[in-house]
Amino acid sequence: MLLHVGAFHLDIDSKQTTPWHQLAPRTRILCTVLFVFAIVLTPNGHWWTWAIYGLATMSLLWLAQVTLSVLLKRLAVEFTFIGVVLLGTLFRGGGKLLWAWGPLQITTVGLTILGSVTLKALLSLLVFNILTLTTAVPALLHALIELRVPPLLVAILTSMYRYIGVLNAEFNAMRRAAVCRNLMSSKRWQRLVIGNMFGSLFIRTYGRGERVYQAMLSRGYQGLPQVEKVSPGKRGDIVALTLTVILALLGQLIYWPR
Amino acid sequence: MVTVMFSSWQHGIIQPHLAMHVPDGFLSLPVLLVTWIIAVGLIAISLKRAQAEYKERAVPLMGVCAAFIFAAQMVNFPIPGGTSGHLLGGTLAASLLGPWAGSLVMTSVFIVQGAVFQDGGLTALGANIFNMGLIGTFGGYYLYRTIRFAIGRDSLNGMVIGIAVAAWTSVVVAAIVCAFELALSGTVPLPVALVAMASWHVLIGIGEALISVVVVSFIWRSRPDLFYDPPRRKAPLSASRF
Repeated sequence: MLLHVGAFHLDIDSKQTTPWHQLAPRTRILCTVLFVFAIVLTPNGHWWTWAIYGLATMSLLWLAQVTLSVLLKRLAVEFTFIGVVLLGTLFRGGGKLLWAWGPLQITTVGLTILGSVTLKALLSLLVFNILTLTTAVPALLHALIELRVPPLLVAILTSMYRYIGVLNAEFNAMRRAAVCRNLMSSKRWQRLVIGNMFGSLFIRTYGRGERVYQAMLSRGYQGLPQVEKVSPGKRGDIVALTLTVILALLGQLIYWPR
Repeated sequence: MVTVMFSSWQHGIIQPHLAMHVPDGFLSLPVLLVTWIIAVGLIAISLKRAQAEYKERAVPLMGVCAAFIFAAQMVNFPIPGGTSGHLLGGTLAASLLGPWAGSLVMTSVFIVQGAVFQDGGLTALGANIFNMGLIGTFGGYYLYRTIRFAIGRDSLNGMVIGIAVAAWTSVVVAAIVCAFELALSGTVPLPVALVAMASWHVLIGIGEALISVVVVSFIWRSRPDLFYDPPRRKAPLSASRF
């Protein structure tokens, strides 16, 4: 795939050669999806399960040599949603009452949910970001085709990824032109001008879509390309998948007898 | 070049306006299961319908349109009342591309947003597609169409009122559904979730309606043929003279 016109540079750690990077991208996706689902589907209050998963995540972080500062910055985004849960905790009944002030109260049940949800969100974000930081976007898209995601959807995602940068630059040029003409002074005007710019950008976008289609036709495009042969997995891929499954089950087994 | 682009995107990232994309860990297994099944069904049908409708043009056209919605979502504009918001674009996309292609475009946008901005989780993708793709885009389209056709297909008034009502309603209803999902999962008590989500998105919805109206009127004036339901052309005046 020719994706040299990158729109964003997420995969800052994709050039290393660690055991994690040796895995085929589709194995990395599968492991991530399995692991994230295991984290998310753990019932609330199973602290030891998350301790094990957390340990595994930390070792993966170390193994894959991810740049920690970037990773931490990307975790900061989730705080609004945690805030809503925090608010919910204050109004929740059940369990032992720990603190009360008027209608507000903190109970053990509320705290358990708050802690569990925060942990789940944090862990799955970490794991998912390890994937996106270490795997280049074209590799991810190609792996999706190998994983039998409908080729039409992947083709749309691919062409979208290719044009985000173009459209973003085009919009910024329009905005700069508007700012230069002092059209962004009042809030009402700002809305009007931005709305008109969106409209005009859509018309250009539609035209661009037609032009791209013509260009593709001129190069002999005949619908979606055939799916390339899936390369067979190496031994490392199978080991990684097995390890992930064992790890996921191990975490759940701790609470099995209860 | 890349860094410049990123710094201009950064304004949009650290703001509470994205509160409708559910992250991982907030929804329970039954909610995840039901929303995923519906979302996968929606994607499968809309892929089929979009391909039947747009044929080979589907890939380039849907691709650039998804990139357009994505780029538009990153732009902040002031909402009356002092805050700022950004476009969600579901109803707008559907009014331009039709409900099937529109929800396909929105689905692509959610997938990329999840990967790029951690905006919505991996496991919660099904729920996000259900909330904003099915209810926001699909529901929004039929609401808009009903209102517009009731007032008059060829009048700008019908268009404006239809898109305004549908854009506001789709945002608010999607937020309410999201609140119900959080409550059903036992994450947040229902009253708290409802108040928090609805009160905020009533405002966001006003911004969505205002900007959608401006976009739609601009396209109506310059290229009305680009709408999915274009206004019927009146008989050209010059022809009646002969």
